[in-house]
Amino acid sequence: MNSREDILGRVRNGLQRNGSNAAVGREEMQSSLSSRTQGPKPVFDSEPKALLERFRLKSEKQSSTVDIVAQESDVPTAINRYLTAMNLPKSAVAWPSLAALDWALAGLVVEARGARDADLVGITGCFCAVAETGSLMLCSSAATPSSVSLLPETHIAVVPAARIVPYMEDAWALARTELGSLPRAVNFISGPSRTGDIELTIVLGAHGPYRVHLVIVEN
Amino acid sequence: MARVRVGLFVTCLVDLMRPRIGFAALKLLEGAGCEVIVPDTQTCCGQPAWNSGDAPGAVALAKKTIAEFEAFEYVVAPSGSCSDHIRTEYPVLLAEESEWLDRATALASRTYELTDFLVTVMKVDSVPGKHQGTVTYHDSCTGLRSMGIKQQPRALLAKLKGLELTEMNGCEECCGFGGTFSVKFGEISAAIAERKCENILASGAQAVVGGDLGCLLNIEGKLRRMGNESTQVLHVAELLAGED
Amino acid sequence: MEIKSMYFKANAKTKLADVALQGNLENARGRFVTTRAEAIKELDDFEGTRDAAEAIRNRVIDNLDLWLERFEHKALDTGAKVLWAKDGAEVCRLVIEIAKRHDVKKVTKSKSMLSEEAGLNQALEAAGIQPVETDLGEYILQVDNNEPPSHIIAPAVHKGLNDVADLFHKVHGTPRKTDIPALTREAREVLRQHFLSAEMGLSGGNFLVAETGSVALVTNEGNGRMVTTMPRVHVVITGIEKVIPTLEDLSTLMRVLPRSATGQSISNYFSILTGVKKPEEHDGPEHLYFVLVDSGRADVVGSDFHAMLRCIRCGACMNHCPVYQTIGGHAYGWVYPGPMGSVLTPLYAGMENSIDLPHAATLCNQCGIVCPVKIPLPDLLRKLREKQTERGLRPLTERIGLRLWAWVAQQPRLYALGARIGARYLKWLAGGTDRIRLLPTAPEWSLGRDFPAPEGKTFRELYAARKHQAKETP
Repeated sequence: MNSREDILGRVRNGLQRNGSNAAVGREEMQSSLSSRTQGPKPVFDSEPKALLERFRLKSEKQSSTVDIVAQESDVPTAINRYLTAMNLPKSAVAWPSLAALDWALAGLVVEARGARDADLVGITGCFCAVAETGSLMLCSSAATPSSVSLLPETHIAVVPAARIVPYMEDAWALARTELGSLPRAVNFISGPSRTGDIELTIVLGAHGPYRVHLVIVEN
Repeated sequence: MARVRVGLFVTCLVDLMRPRIGFAALKLLEGAGCEVIVPDTQTCCGQPAWNSGDAPGAVALAKKTIAEFEAFEYVVAPSGSCSDHIRTEYPVLLAEESEWLDRATALASRTYELTDFLVTVMKVDSVPGKHQGTVTYHDSCTGLRSMGIKQQPRALLAKLKGLELTEMNGCEECCGFGGTFSVKFGEISAAIAERKCENILASGAQAVVGGDLGCLLNIEGKLRRMGNESTQVLHVAELLAGED
Repeated sequence: MEIKSMYFKANAKTKLADVALQGNLENARGRFVTTRAEAIKELDDFEGTRDAAEAIRNRVIDNLDLWLERFEHKALDTGAKVLWAKDGAEVCRLVIEIAKRHDVKKVTKSKSMLSEEAGLNQALEAAGIQPVETDLGEYILQVDNNEPPSHIIAPAVHKGLNDVADLFHKVHGTPRKTDIPALTREAREVLRQHFLSAEMGLSGGNFLVAETGSVALVTNEGNGRMVTTMPRVHVVITGIEKVIPTLEDLSTLMRVLPRSATGQSISNYFSILTGVKKPEEHDGPEHLYFVLVDSGRADVVGSDFHAMLRCIRCGACMNHCPVYQTIGGHAYGWVYPGPMGSVLTPLYAGMENSIDLPHAATLCNQCGIVCPVKIPLPDLLRKLREKQTERGLRPLTERIGLRLWAWVAQQPRLYALGARIGARYLKWLAGGTDRIRLLPTAPEWSLGRDFPAPEGKTFRELYAARKHQAKETP
């Protein structure tokens, strides 16, 4: 007997599986898959302004920094301002989906591609953002490679305010509607990478970015 | 009005080590207007057997205790641990024997820890004890986490004029007793007790008070071994009942 | 992993005497407990969320065969391959086969307790494949001569800053640093090169989502993302019990997991990985394998210990356990320490190899109270004690002593006599003082504390005398 059959056989034994309880079990399984029951969630104001404010506060709590700009065309200038203030290089790798922004006009050298080890600044958008925890939801694709939010020491994310949803459950609903099936990688990112493995002392910048900067676009 | 008939479950540890706790419980219950009966055939609730993996022994002692106490309106014990064993574990132990299960369930619903009984059932508004000084309260694990004994002893202690309650850090943390654990893993048990005692000493209280004698023996033994001679270790019933 | 749980008591003794370890444990004790307490306050209905989390886990383990088939079906649809392993040896064999098939020389690993169970690193090395642990804690242990972890979330929590400073100085040949960020940076630079050069990444799985055939990974360092993004091959090793139904269920569980584990509202990175990279994509593995592992789990299904399969490996039980807090994780002698380990080790690594573990708990139920999926750990420990007795695994003297005691306690007159003698004997031992320094009947008690003297007469005697007196003097 192969291992699969052996393991499943013993699981079935343990559950005293038979034809009738299998039918009941299948029904229960189907119903929990289709009903998608949600658990209790923390209650908060889900008006757009309140959502933005909560997202900002929670993001800052996760050690991200936040800038708010009026429209998407303001993003390159805002990023330039941040890089200047942080004394960081003015060259970056960005998601191909952001290639259309006028980076050069703002004085930035931006290459739209997947990230390499040498890239110091990575610019991404996000699929949406979750106000409950201050998390970005990034979905991988050719135009939105995962490595851009991972390899560079600085990760800058552009977050349209309209894409801030209250809960992770809302993000799944959005993904089902807009993407159909899940992309290869969904990454929820909540602040810079960190570790507490030496004396439980939190250090930012473990293997991923040392800093995460969010540029929220209001309109 | 007929007085409430209460069977006092003394507990084996009180019987052996601190009879005065049993008498204090008696006094408090009588003072609250109960008719108290102490069945003289009672021994142990069987928790040590249950916790040591001797299910048959635990079942036999459960049946014996049920038979001795089921005639009373209430069963009260000056211990969260023993009363919880009757209340929570007897129905589990006897789950397979339907007649006994019914009897266990019936008894369980009428079994109380002493301070819980005085506050919740008898709703006492005064206690006879007197105490001058600061005390800190150790919440014993089973009473706290299984029976919800937390405010009841504090509410009663608050009725003693001159008593000041100073909460210690980690008052809900285990003292390291754990019944047979304390004699199987003496060094670990004593090390846990040391943390408890450090918290007691840091509270600055003149006495540490609790509702379970096992914990109190453990705490007193550790305090004395640490060289502390001055901190009193008292059962809550002793304080509430006062001197005879 | 070789089991050393039979030496629990001797090992615990060593740990109690280890001054440096005691300092590190004290540091950890306060932090884990307070951060969790703060984090759960953020939820309006933490208890309701716990109930929901428990129900989700029950839903799956109560029909585990069906959910496994469902997960497998969906995972195959995404282009992943699904393999099954009965035990650690088969895990090692399968992983090595995959590595050879894809011409892998180096494997970067994010934390997997199952790989510890299987002893996978040793097997990979023996097959000429280099395993590199990339969780900082696991890396520290790997370069320290493959020391086993002492905690499932913070594997190197038993080590202090000075230990790590000495270790990195020795292993990396760099000047000794005592600055935690600098040490972290040093490890980052070493490990970054491994991330970029490894052909295969290996991870555990926090959850397997049946709805989508995905694996969910929770990390803070980003190493989990690295090992699942950079190499050509990704292998997920996970227990068969890790399936959950839907993405909504994942959200519910994520409200309790990081809070219970590290006191975070959410972990930094939470990745849901589904299938392999598309040809036009820049990153991600071309091959994805799931190795679904039994190693004792299947036999727990439907047993007295079924509830243990709910465990989501947060570590809250050990963080809050007075025994773990006092001796740390190594004394437990296998992969999983603390209360969950004292249940899992006998079940997965042999009851006869871990006689002490189910008894090494005060049954204070702090673990049961904090468990995010409401596993009644003290009840399970007690049940294991019962099984030990049934199988004759306890020492004969203990078994006879217990039976004798239980028998005497059923004979009220004999018991009363015994108690009378006992009270007097103990009083005599105290020799007129209020304490007994050495208790001959229970020497373990006396190792660290005195035993208070009894009053000398039993309640029963005094009560009878009082009643008698009341009759005499009406």
